[in-house]
Amino acid sequence: MPYAVETRDLTRIFAGKKKRRIRRKRATGEGEDHLGPVTALDQVSIQIRDGELFGMLGPNGAGKTTLIKILATLLLPTSGQAFVAGHDVAKDPFPIRQRINMVSGGETSGYGLLTARENVWMFSQFYGVPSKISKARIDELMHTFGLWDKRDAKVRMLSTGQRQKMNMIRGFVTDPDILFLDEPTLGLDVNAARVVRDYITNWVRSQKGKTVLLTTHYMAEADQMCDRIAIIDNGKILACDTPENLKRMIRTETTFRLEVDTIRDIASFSSMEGVKNFSHTDDISKNRTHLTFILEDEGPVAEILSTITSQGKKVHSLQKSEPTLEDVFISMVGRGFE
Amino acid sequence: MKPATVRRTDLRYRIGLNLRAVVGRSYPRIVGANREPSWIFFEALLPLLGIAAYVFIYQSFGARSFAAAAGNTTAQAVISANTNALIASVVLGGTMVAFWLNVLWSMASQLYWEKEIGNLQLYMMAPMNRMALLGGMAVGGMVMTSMRAVSTLVAGILVFGVIFQVADPLALLAVFFAALIALYGLGMMFASLYLLWGREAWNLSALMEEPIFFSSGFYFPVGGLFRVPGWGPIIAIIGSFVPATFGLDALRQLTLGSTAFGGQLWIFDVKTELYILVFMAVLFLILARYSLRYLETLAKREGKLTSRHQ
Amino acid sequence: MNTFWRTFKVAAWLGWEMDSNWTEPWLFMVYSVVKPVAGAFILVLMYTVFAFIGNRPDPASFSYMYVGNSFFIFVGSVLFGTFQVIQSDREWYQTIRYVYISPISYYVYIVGRAVSKVGVAAFAVAITLAFGVAFLGVQIHLTVDAVPLFAASMLLGLAVLLAIGICLGGISFLTAKHTHGLAEGIPGLFYVFCGVLFPLSILPSWGQAIGKAIPLTYWFDITRRLLAPTLGVDSTLAGYSDLSIMALLVVSSVAFFGLSLLIFKTGEYSARKAGKIDMTTSY
Repeated sequence: MPYAVETRDLTRIFAGKKKRRIRRKRATGEGEDHLGPVTALDQVSIQIRDGELFGMLGPNGAGKTTLIKILATLLLPTSGQAFVAGHDVAKDPFPIRQRINMVSGGETSGYGLLTARENVWMFSQFYGVPSKISKARIDELMHTFGLWDKRDAKVRMLSTGQRQKMNMIRGFVTDPDILFLDEPTLGLDVNAARVVRDYITNWVRSQKGKTVLLTTHYMAEADQMCDRIAIIDNGKILACDTPENLKRMIRTETTFRLEVDTIRDIASFSSMEGVKNFSHTDDISKNRTHLTFILEDEGPVAEILSTITSQGKKVHSLQKSEPTLEDVFISMVGRGFE
Repeated sequence: MKPATVRRTDLRYRIGLNLRAVVGRSYPRIVGANREPSWIFFEALLPLLGIAAYVFIYQSFGARSFAAAAGNTTAQAVISANTNALIASVVLGGTMVAFWLNVLWSMASQLYWEKEIGNLQLYMMAPMNRMALLGGMAVGGMVMTSMRAVSTLVAGILVFGVIFQVADPLALLAVFFAALIALYGLGMMFASLYLLWGREAWNLSALMEEPIFFSSGFYFPVGGLFRVPGWGPIIAIIGSFVPATFGLDALRQLTLGSTAFGGQLWIFDVKTELYILVFMAVLFLILARYSLRYLETLAKREGKLTSRHQ
Repeated sequence: MNTFWRTFKVAAWLGWEMDSNWTEPWLFMVYSVVKPVAGAFILVLMYTVFAFIGNRPDPASFSYMYVGNSFFIFVGSVLFGTFQVIQSDREWYQTIRYVYISPISYYVYIVGRAVSKVGVAAFAVAITLAFGVAFLGVQIHLTVDAVPLFAASMLLGLAVLLAIGICLGGISFLTAKHTHGLAEGIPGLFYVFCGVLFPLSILPSWGQAIGKAIPLTYWFDITRRLLAPTLGVDSTLAGYSDLSIMALLVVSSVAFFGLSLLIFKTGEYSARKAGKIDMTTSY
């Protein structure tokens, strides 16, 4: 039985655009020329089973959206192959398009002069959904996603979150077999995001042959929802497993979280022996810095504390925690979400 | 647990799918026109001024020519007849301009617009045929276009006193619809360029507007180009690839009589031009299908299908 | 003043970037030349056909029409350039809300954005006139004495066009995306009533009265007087001296400038009240 989604050494390179004006090259750590070709995907091989809720985590520019575009038949690979529902994306797009849909976070698509209901109905017609069935589905989904009151509001009058809900409804109304969700809860409030997550999870579990590929920045979302998660960075898959197995991968390591006074001199932490990785975020309003260390063992803790106090900074809290998906991510990618 | 949905691929399903797509895409055009009625002023009434300007130009030439031929009643009669026939040509051309602009701006370049607002990727992901999408745009825009065309005709008859003598209404309808289908087929071919290009295609449309007007004879009988030594026939031949050229020539013969302008300014007779238009209609629709497919693949290969603000 | 100048400069830079950035420079130059010359060719061929079918050739009428049409390039470009700033920022790039809420004069911003169109139009006008003189026998004769008056009339004419464009911009705050219809239709008004292609005397009396109320009529008249003084085609404004025409141009320009401010501010206020500043109306 074929996989719902399968890629084999999938590569996508974007040729750099020739600049007409001379620009200063921005130096990167690797001396990379940003004006040259960009390898968005580098020999990516994944298999997503039928009925799986598959997550993809990665920082901006990792290649998540590029992968989704190839699978959604919007982009051709440079090399390698991709199959959706057993069909080659490059050679046989029609049967794929019958079976898929896609929702992107922060979507601005839609016609301002049409109502929310009309916009969704229009798109359903492109999938051959009979109007009667389409309208019934739209009504049900509008109730589910809390957009019923705005069903007859013109799209231009909808807020960002309401538009996102409308786009979610557009994604489900065609009853796809495979749904690509690219940060679907972006722009939604807490309650709405929870409703969406519950709906997606239930949709996959309660129906045979429904598969979701979900990209997200929200670790908790991926942890809660996904059967398996792939971590991607710079176009490469770094790891692909269940959330539990991924956490187990770094359980040999120790995670420490510190809250200290705002600290600027942090360069020395990365070169300390025993520090595998660390990240920091500044809380300007409270004049604090949050540091997260992934350590081989507890050995470097004393040195870390000493470095902090020698700069005259106070340590407000120190926590040893079980690894989270974020820790896994930092461990593999080397940085938090930028 | 609900069973998996069965997917059909038979011909009947595909026809139904594409017809639904036509209806779906035409809907925003029709409804939008209703909800923003300002288009009546901007799209149907204001463009009449451009037509009026060309009418007045011929009237101005005619008036001075008439005055210069004072005392020669035969010459004055010929000048009057020619001037009126030229004005009628402008009115007919203005009617066809409505459809040409609909093809150029409301269909062809619309894909660029859709790309910019983020809809194009959703369209390209759907299983409908691309021609169904474009067909829906064309059908939806037909209300506005027809309003503009009709208002031009009515203004021509009532305001400028143009008289049309239709000897063969069936032939007139045949020519009109053949030209229209061929024109929209050409528009679908242009639309495929927009899948690959960004603003280049938009600027190409803007660039093509006026040259097509003069090479296709929208405001004068295109046969006149064949009388200009050197470059005239070359321009006319290039213009003849636009279906409006033969369409207008045939329509003018059918409404002004083939003896208008002393019969000197027509390209071919009506029957021949009708056959050419039918051929063009079939050819352009077939070519459109292939060019849409080819350029979509090219755009996907180069990653331009979904890139905005190119 | 500093803010105005800074806004104008940045907007002018942005307008140029957006106009010229879509292709190679040489193709952009070709496009900027071909488009207006092609527009002039319609008229050339209309005249050719008219002359061919046994009517009397009329070089003076042809020159009258050609010179008028050449300068009309300014009208189309500048009007479209000013008014489409709002439409494109609102519908296309969806940046209008960010520009609008910044501490600048939006009026000045629009003027700045339109300046690049003036530059490109000036180039196109020059090319079209040169083409007409070189290949079509258009009669042009600008004396050295007439240059200051010509320069002054050009500046005034462009200022009026910018003002009219901003009037349209004020209206477009409230209308749906009708860029093409408006861009074609409004210049059409001036095409008919301002003696661009044919003498005002061809129009009925009410049409002539409308024409005399529009400053562009005087602009076209004074331009033609200075560039092609020997044509002698139109007699409608023949009774006025050059300075009288200039005075009429100044007075009507001031009036239109005031009108543009009023219409722009009214349109802006109404749009703000109705929440339409950043609406999208595509269909």
